[in-house]
Amino acid sequence: MGRIQFLLRCMFRHKLRTTLTMLSLVTAFLLFVMLRSVAVVFETGWVNFEEVRLTTQSKYSMIELLPLSHQDTILSIDGVVDITHASWFGGIFEEGETGDATFAVDPESYFDVYSEYVVDPDQLDEFKTTRTAALAPQSLIDKYGWEIGQKIPVISPIFPNPAGGPFVFDLVGSYSSTNEGNDFLAFLFHYEYLTDTFAFGRVGWYMLTIDDPERADEIAREIDSRFENSSDETRSMTESESFRQFASQIGDISLMVTGILSAVFFTMILLTANTMVQGYRERIPELAVMKTLGFSNSSVSAYILAEAMLMCSLSAAVGIGIGTLVVLGVQEYMPPMIPIYFDPVTCIWAGAIAVGLGVFVGSAPAINANRLVIVDALQAH
Amino acid sequence: MSLVSLQSVSKTYTKGRERVDVLSDLSLDIEKNDFVALMGPSGSGKTTVLNLIGGLDHPTSGDVVVDGASLKSLSPGKLARWRSQNIGFVFQFYNLLPALTAQRNIELPLLLTKLRGKERKQNALTALDIVGLGDRSKHKPSQLSGGQQQRVAIARAIVADPSILVCDEPTGDLDRANAEEILDLLQTLNQKHEKTIVMVTHDPKAADHAKTTVYLDKGQLTVQEPVSSAS
Repeated sequence: MGRIQFLLRCMFRHKLRTTLTMLSLVTAFLLFVMLRSVAVVFETGWVNFEEVRLTTQSKYSMIELLPLSHQDTILSIDGVVDITHASWFGGIFEEGETGDATFAVDPESYFDVYSEYVVDPDQLDEFKTTRTAALAPQSLIDKYGWEIGQKIPVISPIFPNPAGGPFVFDLVGSYSSTNEGNDFLAFLFHYEYLTDTFAFGRVGWYMLTIDDPERADEIAREIDSRFENSSDETRSMTESESFRQFASQIGDISLMVTGILSAVFFTMILLTANTMVQGYRERIPELAVMKTLGFSNSSVSAYILAEAMLMCSLSAAVGIGIGTLVVLGVQEYMPPMIPIYFDPVTCIWAGAIAVGLGVFVGSAPAINANRLVIVDALQAH
Repeated sequence: MSLVSLQSVSKTYTKGRERVDVLSDLSLDIEKNDFVALMGPSGSGKTTVLNLIGGLDHPTSGDVVVDGASLKSLSPGKLARWRSQNIGFVFQFYNLLPALTAQRNIELPLLLTKLRGKERKQNALTALDIVGLGDRSKHKPSQLSGGQQQRVAIARAIVADPSILVCDEPTGDLDRANAEEILDLLQTLNQKHEKTIVMVTHDPKAADHAKTTVYLDKGQLTVQEPVSSAS
């Protein structure tokens, strides 16, 4: 029997109680990893977004469209390398399926700005030259069982077809991103199809690349100043900030997550501390015997503290492990609109909390064990 | 020179405003390889003497010298280490750790040594063989009788090969047959393994197994005599 084995034996002397406490801790750390993986998106934005890309949208609302004429003005600003635009179409492929993103984009420039998107050159050429062409991410093609060349009927509550019935697109190809799992891949179709149908020269937002990420704020201010006091004022920001603001419309997710986790861990502190104190009281004669056998005051209290830390750390390891698998699974298989991102820093925080929790709940019993007077403890029991 | 020497030892406990003098200017010498039975009425100070010899408690005045070492000069940490190397304890109620098997209970003091895992296990099994429980190594205390638990406790006391065993009413919780077996075992340890044993007991029949009987009353030594019937 080694020291670790001795610790484990002592820890599981009441198997049911220890197991239930550890299950509670596992759940707490699982929740921590999952909720923090959501909160981190709202706090820092989508980390894989390029900081060399800015978005320009209406100053007052994302649903306000901007004139197409803004494009040349923006492109003329020093530091702006390339520009494209997109418009939210709100397309629905099947009744009840409202979660799919559909954008009307400029086929000539969209894939220049989004250089991480990968598309077959022949399919891109067809996309550029066919007014009814559309490209879809593979996940969407798999979801609906489409095939390249198929006609895709799409209904939009934002842009109802004046001719009645759905818009019909020709699926000419698929595209993907080198930023696996973290991109907002939408069903893309030719902007001309939209503007010809509705005869308007406006777009949802602009995306532009800049030559120097350090100048992002400066360039964003310059763009907005160009349209100041016009009827179409703009608001420019980095792409990650844009996403963060979009996501935060749901509410202060970070604060909510912090509140929930605080309540969970406060309860965990009480529960685990109760288990440790109960365990300590039951073991006072055993601790006195250990001291009698020659274990020093500090070594006995170290055992108590190590036991608490072992319980918290083992539970945390299991909780973090399950949580990581769940988050990675959600990230991999759920639509990219689900705001969840696995950040390894979350695991480091969880580990630190586990150690802190172990120290906190183990301290009082450890101090008492240190002060335990052998003769008194043996006489009292 | 005596192995254990209590030199003008006094011990006073304070309970609130009340002072209780448990031992008063007590001097006692115990020779190496002796088997001493400490007897006397309840409250006479027997267990206190045992605690002082075992380094579990400190005298209010006087000194306890064991094998040339003055216990009052040792820091708590050094005293703990000294205990682990020199003293084996046997309690009335065995005080085994219920979560551990017999073998692991016996291995517990060896965690304080530099022995490797295999050596610890081997020493524990040897100690179990000495007390006649070689076939009970995997049993937990709850699966053993009182007599068997006390044998395991004795094995735990001797596994680190201390020179002194202090036993606080080791047969107090046992029936006569088991008590006799335990006393015979202690006698064997004293005679064959040359352990110096100090045993507190109320039982004159238990004291008959010792070589020397010491009587205490009101914290003072009243009689110290060799036991003629010691076998």
